[in-house]
Amino acid sequence: MRSQVVKSVRIVGALGLIGSITFVYCRVATVNSVTAALTFLLAVLTLATRWGLVEALAASVAGVLCFNFFFLPPIKTFTLADPQNWIALVAFVVTAVIVSHLSSSAREQALESTRRQREMERLYTLSRNLLLLDGRGPLAQQITYHIAQVFDLPGVAFFDRTHERIHRAGPHDIPVEDSKLRDAALQGTVFYDAAANTAVMPISLGGQPIGSLGLEGSQVSETALHAIANLTAITLERAHAQDIATRAEAARQSEELKSTMLDAMAHEFKTPLTPIKAAVTSMLTDDCSSPSHRELLHIVDEETDRLNTMLTEAIQMSRIEAGHLQLHRGPHSMRELVHLQLQKLSESSEGRAIAVDVPESLPLVRVDPESIGIVIGQLLSNALRYTPPGSPIAVRAAALEGKVVVRVEDCGPGISEAEQHRIFEKFYRGKQHRARLPGTGMGLTIAQEIVRAHQGTIWVESQPGKGAKFSFTVPCAPKESTS
Amino acid sequence: MTSAKVLVVDDEPQIRRVMRTTLVTRGYVVGDARNGEEALEKIRAERFDLVLLDMNMPGIGGMETCRLIRSQSDIPIVVLSIRNAEKDKVEALDAGADDYVTKPFSMPELLARIRAALRRAPLLGPGAPEVLNLGRTVINFATRRVTVDGAEVRLTPKELDLLRYLASNPETVLAHAKLLQTVWGPDYGEEVEYLRVFMNQLRKKIEPDPSQPQYLLTEPWVGYRFHLPKKT
Repeated sequence: MRSQVVKSVRIVGALGLIGSITFVYCRVATVNSVTAALTFLLAVLTLATRWGLVEALAASVAGVLCFNFFFLPPIKTFTLADPQNWIALVAFVVTAVIVSHLSSSAREQALESTRRQREMERLYTLSRNLLLLDGRGPLAQQITYHIAQVFDLPGVAFFDRTHERIHRAGPHDIPVEDSKLRDAALQGTVFYDAAANTAVMPISLGGQPIGSLGLEGSQVSETALHAIANLTAITLERAHAQDIATRAEAARQSEELKSTMLDAMAHEFKTPLTPIKAAVTSMLTDDCSSPSHRELLHIVDEETDRLNTMLTEAIQMSRIEAGHLQLHRGPHSMRELVHLQLQKLSESSEGRAIAVDVPESLPLVRVDPESIGIVIGQLLSNALRYTPPGSPIAVRAAALEGKVVVRVEDCGPGISEAEQHRIFEKFYRGKQHRARLPGTGMGLTIAQEIVRAHQGTIWVESQPGKGAKFSFTVPCAPKESTS
Repeated sequence: MTSAKVLVVDDEPQIRRVMRTTLVTRGYVVGDARNGEEALEKIRAERFDLVLLDMNMPGIGGMETCRLIRSQSDIPIVVLSIRNAEKDKVEALDAGADDYVTKPFSMPELLARIRAALRRAPLLGPGAPEVLNLGRTVINFATRRVTVDGAEVRLTPKELDLLRYLASNPETVLAHAKLLQTVWGPDYGEEVEYLRVFMNQLRKKIEPDPSQPQYLLTEPWVGYRFHLPKKT
């Protein structure tokens, strides 16, 4: 509106200038037609350079009319007697129009390059400001504020898709609805509203939309808009990467500390256990003690073992929780792994018969033998501990769709359906055994974590009074690694 | 009664006490050291038949002590450690240990391991050679000397026993358990990692190209075989 008034005033001014020249040359200092034409051209040129094409064209038309009416004979008529004057008039018209056009476009270009230079400066300032952003306040809010401030925009809005939040900055609220910002982010489309003088554009990184930016004000070119969007995306991504790196470093340090503490604790607790165990087992091998002394020594020995198992399980559990479960996976024979555990358990199994059905023809499995040994050992020792002496126990294995399923079956009291869901939970212990039998409630949790780390599953099938079947799966080794 | 001399190296006084009491009762002569430095000094000063070596000690630590003892002597070393991961065992065996016992241990088990470390594997098979000439490598089992291209190579007693057993059964696949029980003793059989480490060390010492063994061949998942190349 304001610019239209300015334009009208300038046109009147341009016409006034032509009128003034005509008046001076007709009444004050009489000149010939050539001088008048050149003066009119000079005026048109000045107007085109200073004000623009419209003002210059208005002056040209007025100039042609005045030139014809006041300076080309017959004077004070719009008719031309001499054909040469036609040429002069046409030359004047063409020159005036070309001069108007050339000078105004030169002016436009100068203006455009100034504007671009200013825009570049602003983009540079913005990128510097964004680089220097600190952790005070939400990052998206800071970005929005800097865009509004650097580009001197009345309103800026930024939709952060990750946190589903809209940040606004600038002297007044940008007239863009929240839904439009969301749509731009989701659909990746650009919206321009010429009437409201607003633009909304998506911000994406690596093809993934991460938000949208709404700007109010006409002084930002489309190129600059894209540059702002890119700068915003890069700043967000840089902050995100920095955040991940900081967190990873903090987590690594905390895990390192935890692991160091665990090792120290294991050493501290196991150190006194070593001479106790050595002393008591040494005394047990001597035949000189009485039966009651031997019984007491056995108690000390068994409790030392129990304490040691608890410590070992606590360390394993903490290692797993701290993400320190290191698997050295390779092709191994499940038959060998099962036999190794049976051999280890031969002392505590007190001669109980364990039926083994692990065929030699089974494919090799891709496992960490130490960890899977812990799983097999845990299931077998549970079967030994929680079932009456003399009741049968069986361990079977079979190949099934690229996996090997290992099953430990017992004929003990079984597990109720409600408890079946809970026995793999940390520290949970079956109601029947809680008071009667020692245990930490960590064994099955450890087994479950190890099996999961092997991309396998572990489960139990049981009915009260009908025994329990614990099964787990581990993947077979790829064929080429078995050769 | 045996009179083998055992050096107990542990920074924990209570462990040294219980070991000394038990071992002396069983007829061993016992010396002790509180750390690696002291152990190395004692080994230099007097002759021991076996070292019981703790891993977690102040100063140079058990692993380095093990390496240093092995670099100057072929005395059997039994490592005692709280860590029970396979990588810790392999690392200790690589450093030159003959056996690895996890703390806390039962005394009968440790005594069995001490006996196993001290015992020499019986020479099995009537065809066991006294001298094995492999061309560049010459092994004299009688004098316990091994030379490669004329230069003498030191094998530890366990390495020599293992090599002798394999060489006395050429072209025969010897299962892991059989090898362990013959060379280490009847209580062994699960310690496949021991064989892996010892075979690697033997290959480094006697094979012209340890990565392409000619004599000590692996039979995957089963055991090892000694291959005697035909003389041309």
